[in-house]
Amino acid sequence: MGHRDIPVLRTRRLELRGPKAEDYPNFKATFTSYRARFMGGPLNEYESWMLYAAEIGHWEIRGYGMWMIHDRETGDTLGMAGGWKPARWPEAELAWIIWPEVAGKGYALEATNAARTYFYEHGGWDGAVSYLDPKNLDSIRLAERLGARRDKDAATVDGHDVIYRHPSPADLDNTRLAHGIEMEIEHYADPAFKPKGYALD
Amino acid sequence: MIAPRLTTDRLTLRALGPQDAEAFAAFYADARSSFVGGPMNAEQSWRTLAGEIGHWTLNGFGRWAVTETGSDTCIGCVGLWAPLGWPEPEIGWDLFEGATGKGYATEAAEAARTYAYDTLGWDTAISLVANGNDASVRVATRLGCTPEGTFTHARLGTLTIYRHPKVGV
Repeated sequence: MGHRDIPVLRTRRLELRGPKAEDYPNFKATFTSYRARFMGGPLNEYESWMLYAAEIGHWEIRGYGMWMIHDRETGDTLGMAGGWKPARWPEAELAWIIWPEVAGKGYALEATNAARTYFYEHGGWDGAVSYLDPKNLDSIRLAERLGARRDKDAATVDGHDVIYRHPSPADLDNTRLAHGIEMEIEHYADPAFKPKGYALD
Repeated sequence: MIAPRLTTDRLTLRALGPQDAEAFAAFYADARSSFVGGPMNAEQSWRTLAGEIGHWTLNGFGRWAVTETGSDTCIGCVGLWAPLGWPEPEIGWDLFEGATGKGYATEAAEAARTYAYDTLGWDTAISLVANGNDASVRVATRLGCTPEGTFTHARLGTLTIYRHPKVGV
């Protein structure tokens, strides 16, 4: 199996690229912190580095994986988003994490929406789930903003997660839902369009 | 970065891939893996395999799947290893059930060391061996290594550092 060229995705504010060695320090800062409590953390330094290496190996094994999210203007890393299916995962997951210091700007929404669109249009995916910790209210809220709905019948990873099922490609094909997501992303990208009283986070 | 293919008299060292998940799961399910971070379940061993592959991208080197030339079955994982926090780049060898006692670890580790010295330009290397892993001590000795203190790792405990002979020795 040859080396996979990880595709680059661009959105209005973001560029999603394969994880590189130089991007590791920000990953480590988050995954060794309390912020990672919903993702099996906090991790020690060895576990954190091995997880980062595994994120890269995941691309080689599955043909898809998690991108590093960069600010298009500055190049700074903001978090990760993409597809995730280690052994034992019942279905392919759409996953995201945003570094705590840049949360609340709609980056996870913009990046995960781009990843989902890519998997639907180029990866042959006909659906996706997100396995969320029921206490991770920010992520549950984001799943809902992406149009995902709780699926109580879906198989869980370990019995402690709740499953949100994403809308299918057809559900997002020029539908009100798809337009609503695009509009929310635009509002974040250009706050001048923000409706009065609109929840920012 | 993808691992280049290396060959020895009896072995082919090739890049690890998805086809090796079962061999990893079997090895890491066994008590023998307690010297190298196991035992672990199939999910953890899958992540370990993914981490071995990602190591190549992060460091530009890593470990290979060891196969008997002519077969594609992974019988071990041998090569160059330096996750963040490692004392120095290491030459590591894990031989799976049924592949031990044939000199394969020594043969594969020699090929990895030659690659490290001749292709990567390393001028030294270490190997870390857990207490009680007598088979691994014998491999280190056959490779000309000498013990040189210890390294204590958060996950793996106290390991003896074996120093490899320098280039050309």
